[in-house]
Amino acid sequence: MAAEIQTFYDVMRAQGTSRRSFLKFCSLTAAALGLEPIYASKIAHAMETKPRTPVLWMHGLECTCCSESFIRSGHPLAKDVILKMISLDYDDTLMAAAGTQAEVILDEIPKKYKGEYILAVEGNPPLNEDGMYCIVGGKPFVEKLRAVAADAKAVIAWGACASWGCVQAARPNPTQATPIDKVITDKPVIKIPGCPPIAEVMTGVISYMITFDRLPELDGRGRPLMFYGQRIHDKCYRRPHFDAGEFVESWDDLGAREGYCLYKMGCRGPTTYNACSTIRWNGGVSFPIQAGHGCIGCSEDNFWDNGPFYHRLSHVGAGFGVEATADEIGGLAASAVAAGVVAHAGLSAVKHLRKNRKDDHPSPNHKTDDGERL
Amino acid sequence: MTTITTPNGFTIDNSGKRMVVDPITRIEGHLRCEVNLDQNNVIRNAVSSGTMWRGLEVILKGRDPRDAWAFCERICGVCTGIHALASVRAVEDALGIKIPENANSIRNLMEATQWAQDHLVHFYHLHALDWVDIVSSLKADPRATSDLAQNISPWPNSSPGYFRDVQTKLKKFVDSGQLGPFMNGYWGNPAYLLPPEANLMAVSHYLEALDFQREIVKIHTVFGGKNPHPNWLVGGMACAINVDGPLAAGAPVNMVQLNLVSSIIDRTIAFIDQVYIPDLMAIASVYKTWTYGRGLAGQNVMSYGDFPLHANEFSEHNLLMPRGAIVDGKLDAVLDVDLRDPSQVQEFVNHSWYRYPDEAAGLHPWAGITDPDFVLGPATVGTKTDIKQLDEDAKYSFIKAPRWRGHAMEVGPLSRFTIGYAKGIADFKEPVDKMLTDLGLPIDALFTTLGRTAARGLEASWAAHKMRLFFDQLMSNLRAGDLAMVNTEKWEPATWPKEVKGIGHVEAPRGSLGHWIHIKDQKIEAYQAVVPTTWNGSPRDPSGNIGAFEAALLHTPLADAAQPLEILRTLHSFDPCLACATH
Amino acid sequence: MLDRTETIDVDASNTPVSAPVYVYEVPVRLWHWTTAVVFLVLCVTGFLIGDPVWPQFIGQPYHHFLMGEIRLVHFVSGYVLALAMLVRIYWAFVGNRYSREIFLPKLWSRVWRQQLVKTIRWYFLIEPDSGREIGHNSLAQITMFVMFVVGVIFEIITGFALYGEGSGYGSWSYALFSRWVMPLFGTSQEVHTWHRLGMWYLVIFVIVHVYMVIREDIMSRQTMLSTMINGWRYFKDRGQ
Ligand code: HEM
Ligand code: HEM
Ligand code: NFV
Ligand code: SF4
Ligand code: SF4
Ligand code: F3S
Ligand SMILES: [Mg+2]
Repeated sequence: MAAEIQTFYDVMRAQGTSRRSFLKFCSLTAAALGLEPIYASKIAHAMETKPRTPVLWMHGLECTCCSESFIRSGHPLAKDVILKMISLDYDDTLMAAAGTQAEVILDEIPKKYKGEYILAVEGNPPLNEDGMYCIVGGKPFVEKLRAVAADAKAVIAWGACASWGCVQAARPNPTQATPIDKVITDKPVIKIPGCPPIAEVMTGVISYMITFDRLPELDGRGRPLMFYGQRIHDKCYRRPHFDAGEFVESWDDLGAREGYCLYKMGCRGPTTYNACSTIRWNGGVSFPIQAGHGCIGCSEDNFWDNGPFYHRLSHVGAGFGVEATADEIGGLAASAVAAGVVAHAGLSAVKHLRKNRKDDHPSPNHKTDDGERL
Repeated sequence: MTTITTPNGFTIDNSGKRMVVDPITRIEGHLRCEVNLDQNNVIRNAVSSGTMWRGLEVILKGRDPRDAWAFCERICGVCTGIHALASVRAVEDALGIKIPENANSIRNLMEATQWAQDHLVHFYHLHALDWVDIVSSLKADPRATSDLAQNISPWPNSSPGYFRDVQTKLKKFVDSGQLGPFMNGYWGNPAYLLPPEANLMAVSHYLEALDFQREIVKIHTVFGGKNPHPNWLVGGMACAINVDGPLAAGAPVNMVQLNLVSSIIDRTIAFIDQVYIPDLMAIASVYKTWTYGRGLAGQNVMSYGDFPLHANEFSEHNLLMPRGAIVDGKLDAVLDVDLRDPSQVQEFVNHSWYRYPDEAAGLHPWAGITDPDFVLGPATVGTKTDIKQLDEDAKYSFIKAPRWRGHAMEVGPLSRFTIGYAKGIADFKEPVDKMLTDLGLPIDALFTTLGRTAARGLEASWAAHKMRLFFDQLMSNLRAGDLAMVNTEKWEPATWPKEVKGIGHVEAPRGSLGHWIHIKDQKIEAYQAVVPTTWNGSPRDPSGNIGAFEAALLHTPLADAAQPLEILRTLHSFDPCLACATH
Repeated sequence: MLDRTETIDVDASNTPVSAPVYVYEVPVRLWHWTTAVVFLVLCVTGFLIGDPVWPQFIGQPYHHFLMGEIRLVHFVSGYVLALAMLVRIYWAFVGNRYSREIFLPKLWSRVWRQQLVKTIRWYFLIEPDSGREIGHNSLAQITMFVMFVVGVIFEIITGFALYGEGSGYGSWSYALFSRWVMPLFGTSQEVHTWHRLGMWYLVIFVIVHVYMVIREDIMSRQTMLSTMINGWRYFKDRGQ
């Protein structure tokens, strides 16, 4: 087995890079930065001696499924990420220390590695009740979150909770659970949405950042394009059935057993940006649609309130107490208008006829245009 | 106040030095613990507080009952899927939906899978560091470690070279100066008792288990599309089966997927029986003199029962995991539990951050109310947003206090095994007796922190073997030509009665879980969940009974008052889940 | 009679009563009927895209492309609708005075507002007789603007935003529309909902519009249908 990976160089070696290519990489980096060739050896030295990047993984209001997903990663294995690529200095779920011994880490690491550590956040802060719906060490989570974010090099929002708010932010959001980018506003937040995100997507983003020492390219909403650039629907293996118009009509029908499209069962694949249909889940074993249930859109903002899940069309207006689909609302309004038109037409016809009858027997006192016309 | 005796028989004394442990780590969610230590550093008063609340019960109001499982599933990603199962069962119960046999087998299989994986991860990754000193393993002799390992198990990864390799990597890791998740651990604390070789073996298996647990959950991926948070369905399961025909390859479940499931089951059984159980026994044999953490164990324990062998039948004779309650330690009188009876399960909130019109009384979940009320008692030290010390005489936790016929109860693997044992069921009695004989311990030794941890291991093995049973059951049903996976008769809301109520109950990895639903006009009118950690982590109630966490911590001495190792050990033996507890 | 219509008609007042007026130039008429047709096609295909009502059929998917075709027709019609609209907007700049009416209701004109009141009274069957207009009456103008112009542009923007998702991240429609439209409404799912609501909004417009056209044709003092066919407005006043 390879030696323990402690530096950037070791990580590259572990991933199959030879010493030669490593040095080449360093001179290319130097050239790219417009530096003298002499700097190549300085870069190489820095990379060979740089400590593993500290990661502080904080938990707010959440369900820990993002952590659970993370440890399911097959390549790289979660243990290799934790022990070789990064230094997971704080993580409520896995760390040995508790209480004060844990708390001091959150104070010390940001000082010791100012501007060099990554803050990874699972869950989100509630803002109601002065933040006290999520208390850590006697204080509101949001306070700690802000403090630790202040000197972070980068901030990762794990999952739908940190990215969008997720289930606790669903109507009526009693705790005022808030996505972290509404609280950490002075630096870019890399959003890795999903409930939870795919394990290999999580470790993929981390290893990208460590290997290339840069942030992945993000879309307009802060999601890495490489994993969130396409919809489930764009690469779904059931797509030929969609295009053909062959749909599962009811659970466990013939179409369900033959892998027809789940659109009519409410599948949110057409409106969901995620890599499930390409990378798939748990080492490529399957993904929600392959297992017969539609996508519920778990990586999208607000997906909880865009239900019901088993209708292709979302309910709108639930906030106002009426819940109906666009068709129910539109159809009702159109019918009402059509009925109005029919009534109006009837009244108009009556008036028209009466007027015509009057026109037949004009009254000398009745002064209308028609009267004049006569 | 100094000393009082609670109605459930515990003596608490809050006069000594107060020690606060917050955050409690290696659990799910946010838990705070405060204890009073006497001059010998023995715990005389314990206060456990759930410090998060999300409001799922409030959020579920007005939703489509068929969607509820997905919301409930997000109560917890560690016991993932368990709340979803409770939820679909609640809706099916309310609407009178009967699910097909195949769906029943698959649900049982997924539940057993969840138990096996969750128990394994708990033991190695959340609990082991309370017993295992990682740093000490650097001193181990790899050859002796190999002898130890080969002596207790046929597991193949046991050569001296294997352990040496692990040790070398560990050493380099430690030498790097960046200890990562092991930073600031309680290494060297006198409460660690294992010899270096046992520590090294356990650390190796910590890493192996981390790799292996991800295999187990692939069973969820086959039937539910992903893990964590696989998909479920009211009326059955969405994973239609097709084992022949030109389009079978695109079907959710086909021969390839079934074979994958079967192979994972074999490997799961092997890992648990050849790694987890031997490690557990090795640890237990050293720690068997550390007999703290009894609390409610062996005294007030409960199980709702689960794993219906055949679909839609929740009466005792059809459940592989038995139902029952034991009160006041009367092992010979297992009482029956009825979740519909308004006088049995009730939740109190006079010490919880919720509001009831009358807080002296408890409410049955069908009449339950979730109305948050974050107020601190007069004896609180600190301010609203900087709490130094809680006032346990007032409201002090987001966990409600559920009681069964007024009793605080412990739930979980140990409770289940106690009930199975008390009922004389071989599945439970035989492994327990064997373990006690091997360790040379009396039955009473079971009712401790260590016993809780041991029961979880035995249960993981039980679950792994049951996975095989449910898979075989599924296959024989398929062989008989039954492919049905969903009952869609009552899928459409138009077929539903105007107003109905239902119950869904499950034995979750951490204990008894119930969801109570009230459906009106095709919408959720009210939803209440009473969760395992709500039982175990409950605060006090109007009569002054203390919950399982608090009771179990009492009388435990700390080896080093600055290091809460023993507190973690006992709390972890319950496998606390706070997202679950407060939801 | 003239002194009475004086205050009502905006543009027609100075025109000799019975003389027909050339109102809708060829591009406007062509545009109108093109739009009418593609609109109906968009509604039918759009409705089916969101709710494919046909029963399940069984077979190899490569034998069918029903959904694909419906979507294709929708997208082609969408393009036609959008391009026609661009032409129509261009024509508002270069065409006759009537070509601007639906884009620029003269809210600031007192006469215009008086006519609005009068027309509303006329439709509530209070006013015994319609006004006499060469172009659209005030109410028609404002309705055309609020329901049709706004509605169609809304459908075009949301439509191309949805289209951009299918074309992909690098496409022009993504860059021009999807990128800002999706976050504006929330997510893709919400844009679908709004696009569909937009259809119903326009359907309501068309129901009222077609009814009004026919009614006015019968009851008012000017021609309607034939105007949109041959461009000329005839008046049914005395002497006609
Ligand atoms: C059978 C169906 C239709 C008929 C008979 C019809 C007829 C007419 C007539 C007669 C006019 C002229 C009204 C006037 O002189 O004041 C007109 C104008 C107009 N129609 Fe239609 N129409 C139909 C369908 C539609 C549809 C489907 C739409 C759009 C969705 C539409 C949009 C318009 C617009 C925007 C104008 C104003 C044109 C302008 O002033 O530039 N029409 N229509
Ligand atoms: C009056 C104009 C239009 C109407 C009434 C209309 C109507 C509709 C309707 C009802 C849907 C189904 C929405 C759903 O249920 O999700 C739809 C989808 C769509 N429309 Fe339109 N549309 C119009 C214009 C356009 C335009 C101009 C475009 C641009 C190309 C367009 C592109 C689309 C696309 C891409 C979809 C989504 C298709 C899919 O999800 O497969 N639409 N339209
Ligand atoms: N307590 C609890 Fe759970 C479990 N097991 C739920 O029912 O952990 Ni998250
Ligand atoms: S995003 Fe979903 S999976 Fe992750 S913590 Fe939140 S609820 Fe759990
Ligand atoms: S199953 Fe869902 S994602 Fe796949 S093609 Fe159908 S609608 Fe699209
Ligand atoms: S529900 Fe989530 S896991 Fe993927 S298929 Fe849909 S985004
Ligand atoms: Mg509850």
